[in-house]
Amino acid sequence: MHRLEATRLLLKHVRDEALVANLGPTADELWHLGHRDRNFYTFGSMGLCSSIALGMALSTEGKVVSLDGDGSLLMNMGTIATIGRERPGNLIVVVWDNEEWCQTGHQKSHTAFYTDLERVARGCGIEKTATVDDLEGLEAVFMQALEEEGPWFIVAKIEEGEPLPVMPIEPEMTLYRFRKSFTG
Amino acid sequence: MTWAETIVEALKGNQVSLIAFVPDVSIDVVTRLMEEDPFFHVVAATREEEAIGIAAGAYAAGRNAAVFMQSSGFGNCINAIASLCIPCRIPIPLFINLRGELGEFNIAQVPMGRATRPVLDVLGLPYYTLTMDENLDKVVRGALKLCYSSREPLALCLTPLLHGGKLA
Repeated sequence: MHRLEATRLLLKHVRDEALVANLGPTADELWHLGHRDRNFYTFGSMGLCSSIALGMALSTEGKVVSLDGDGSLLMNMGTIATIGRERPGNLIVVVWDNEEWCQTGHQKSHTAFYTDLERVARGCGIEKTATVDDLEGLEAVFMQALEEEGPWFIVAKIEEGEPLPVMPIEPEMTLYRFRKSFTG
Repeated sequence: MTWAETIVEALKGNQVSLIAFVPDVSIDVVTRLMEEDPFFHVVAATREEEAIGIAAGAYAAGRNAAVFMQSSGFGNCINAIASLCIPCRIPIPLFINLRGELGEFNIAQVPMGRATRPVLDVLGLPYYTLTMDENLDKVVRGALKLCYSSREPLALCLTPLLHGGKLA
């Protein structure tokens, strides 16, 4: 499955939930599929997508969905342990796992070898986990995650598509609109 | 009030209720006070850049958040501050215990401790160095207010002349 169609599928089920997008194509695709104020795009700080989502989940009642990546999460695997310790019931981590660092020239990442991020999450005490590799599997587990108490940790094996144009939104505006949707 | 209580009260006064930290022996007295106080949610992070991400997420969702760390850990989170907080304009008060100061016993703590304020300078971020003096309350409260009005990170650097830390 391609990440673009997988993202489109998640958006079909998302209402008021906050979405945090990892930097690069994950954020660009989310923008092009339809901007909403509760999308928080990241522009740098590689590795922090799920940490940002964790901070949000501890600060709001509604569900928060992190759209992370394998290369990024490998930079900050400690945050999986912090999620396992804090256990926010409203946090859903989706890892778009293409088993490579795509943007820097398709170098294989560690998940192409022996690293299994779902097992890492289970080892950190996160019980609601899954690894999916098709749209049907993703849709089923994501719908369950929106309904059931988490934290959830879903590894979705994906393929890269053609890159879309870089999203035309400023970091400041991302923060401003997102925050405003909570503070009014 | 002790210096630690002064900091805790100033945080409460500015509605800073989420604290992300990586342990440090000199700030332990502050983080313990906050852990005992139901006003705060104190999150232990595994690394300082993670703490920045957690605090940034809290602010994005409408909750003020501060980070506590030591100067070595400031070295671990420079890019998080530079590529997340500054471009998005996310105000996070950074409480940094300066190692490599008076009484330091560990040579490995000296370079990053000494580099902390110059690095803040080149990032264009303001900082205030805290010692035990009569203006402590004004400095901490004023710095927090400035942090939120300017919507950028700001550092409060703790020293052995504030907490007595490793002075002996």
